[in-house]
Amino acid sequence: MIELKQIRKAFNQGRPNEYWALNGIDLTIEAQKVTAFRGPSGSGKTTLLTIVGCLARPTSGRVRLAEDEISGLPERFLTDIRRSTFGFVFQQFNLIKGLSALENVMLPAFPTGRPHRELRERSEALLDRLKLAHRREARVEWLSGGEQQRVAIARALVNDPKVLIADEPTANLDTTLSREFMGILEGLHAEGRTVILTSHDPLVVESAAVHRVVSMRDGQLTEG
Amino acid sequence: MIFQPAIIALLLASGIAVAMLAAAAPFALQVIRQWDIASGTERQLLLERRTYLFSTLAAFVMVVQLVALLLFVFNADRMAEMFVGAMCAVGTLNVNPFGFPALLAQMAVFFLAAAWLAVNHVDTRAPDYPLVRVKYALLLILLPALALAFVLQLKYFLGLRADVITSCCGSLFSGDAKGLAAEVAALKPLPAMTLFYVVLAVAAGLTFFHARTRRAGYAAAAASAAAFVATIVGVLSFVSLYLYEHPNHHCPFCILKPEYGHQGYWLYVPLFAATAAGLGTGALQPFRQVASLREIVPAVSARLADLAAFGYLLVALIATYFVLHSNLILIEH
Repeated sequence: MIELKQIRKAFNQGRPNEYWALNGIDLTIEAQKVTAFRGPSGSGKTTLLTIVGCLARPTSGRVRLAEDEISGLPERFLTDIRRSTFGFVFQQFNLIKGLSALENVMLPAFPTGRPHRELRERSEALLDRLKLAHRREARVEWLSGGEQQRVAIARALVNDPKVLIADEPTANLDTTLSREFMGILEGLHAEGRTVILTSHDPLVVESAAVHRVVSMRDGQLTEG
Repeated sequence: MIFQPAIIALLLASGIAVAMLAAAAPFALQVIRQWDIASGTERQLLLERRTYLFSTLAAFVMVVQLVALLLFVFNADRMAEMFVGAMCAVGTLNVNPFGFPALLAQMAVFFLAAAWLAVNHVDTRAPDYPLVRVKYALLLILLPALALAFVLQLKYFLGLRADVITSCCGSLFSGDAKGLAAEVAALKPLPAMTLFYVVLAVAAGLTFFHARTRRAGYAAAAASAAAFVATIVGVLSFVSLYLYEHPNHHCPFCILKPEYGHQGYWLYVPLFAATAAGLGTGALQPFRQVASLREIVPAVSARLADLAAFGYLLVALIATYFVLHSNLILIEH
C-alpha cells in the first residue's frame, strides 16, 4: 500500500514563474492492483508518479510505502528503494541507444552486484516472456515502437520490483500494440505486482485490466 | 614569514573551517529548534534536504582538520632552520607564546573532529536522521574550539620573527629543566617502560574486547585516552632516548626530523589514529539504545575499536623495534 498525505509540489518556488503542479493530494494506492491516473496535460499526473516512485521529492507532505515513510529519506536510502521496489517504464522508453535489447534490460541490475550469469539468464527469461527472445542482440534503435516498449518493460522488471510505474505507456503505440500492452499488464497483476500508470487513452483507462481510475485536474484529485 | 605555502594552507584550512561552521550555525539552531521528523511541512522537508548538504560540508571541514594537525607539526619542524637557536619544531613553537597553545588547540580540534565524524557516520547510516539534533549541537560546540585554534594559529604565525633567538628542545625536555614536560622526561626508564607497555596492553585489550563483545565501550574509550598519555610519556622518557642513542635527549619532535629518518611519524600517526578511533567508540556509546541505531552503533563502534586495538599494537611494536635496534643501553640486565 502506498499512502500520499497532503502532497504539494512546486516548481521554481520563490521565482516569478513559480508553478504548483500538485496541490494537496491525499490518496491511498492499493497494493497488487492496477491504478491509473487520468487527466489533461498539466494536471500533475506525471509529477505525482515521480513522487510516488521517489524520482522527485514533494515540496510538502509525506509518502508512505507500507509502514515506511519514504519521502524524507536521505538519497542513499532512496536509491536502494528505487532500485528494489520500483520499476519504471517511461513515456519515451529512455532506452540506451547503441546497446542491445539484452544489455538495456540488464543495465539497472548491474549495481546490485548479482552474478553476471544470473543477470543474463533473468534478462533473457524476461525478454523471452515478452516475446522478444529473437531480438535480444539487436540494438534498441533498430526495434519497432512496440518492441522498444517491451524492452522497457523487461528492464523495469529485471530487479523484480513490487511496483511497476508507467508514464503514458501507450502514447506511442497503435491500437493493436496498446491491447498487447494491456495483456502484459494483466500478467503483471496476476503475479501480484502493483501497477501505477498515467494515461488519457480510453483504451487503457476503460480497460478491465485497470482496477481503479483516479482523475486529476490542476494538481488536485477530482474523482477516484 | 606568513607567506609560506604550509602556513597559508593551515590558515586557509582553519579560517575556512571557522567560516563554514559560522555560516552553518543559524541552520544548526534551526534544526535544533524546529526539527520534527513526523511533520510533512514544507519547512521540515527543506530542513531534511539541507541537512544532507550541511553534514557533507561539515564532514569535509572535519577531515581537513585531521590532516591539518599533521601539516602543522610537519611545518613547525621544517621551519626550524629559519630561527636562530631552533633545532626542531620545539624551537619554532617557542618563537612566541602562541606556538604550543596553537599546537594543543589543533590536537584538541583533531580529537573533537574525529568524534564528530564518528557521530555523523552513524547518523547517516540510519534512515530517520536519529542524531541530527545532537550532531548540530556538537557543531555549535565545535565552532568556538575551531575559532580558538584559528585565532591561536593566526597570532602564532603573525608573531613569527626571524630575528628572535629561540630556545631548543634541550632546555624544555631535559631532566634538569622545570615544568611538566621536564618532570615526565626525568622519569626513570624502567617505570616509564612498565607504564607504557601496561597501559598500551590494557587499551589494546579493552578495545579488542569491545570489538568482539560490544561491551565496555566507555572503558575502551577511557583506556584509549590513557594510552595516548602513556605513549607521550613513554616517548619523552625512554623511546626518544633509544632513537637518538643519547641518554639525555628527550625531545618528542626531533624524531620527526630527516636526520632520524622521520621515524617519529611511524609512532605518532598510528597513535593519533588509534586514539581518535578509541575516543570515537566512546562518543558513540550514548546512542547505542536509539531504536534505529541498535545495530548500526555496535557495528561501527566495533570497527573503530578494532582500528584502535590495531593502532596501539602497532605503536607498541614500533617502540619495541626502536628500543631493540638501538645501540643505547639504559637498563642493565
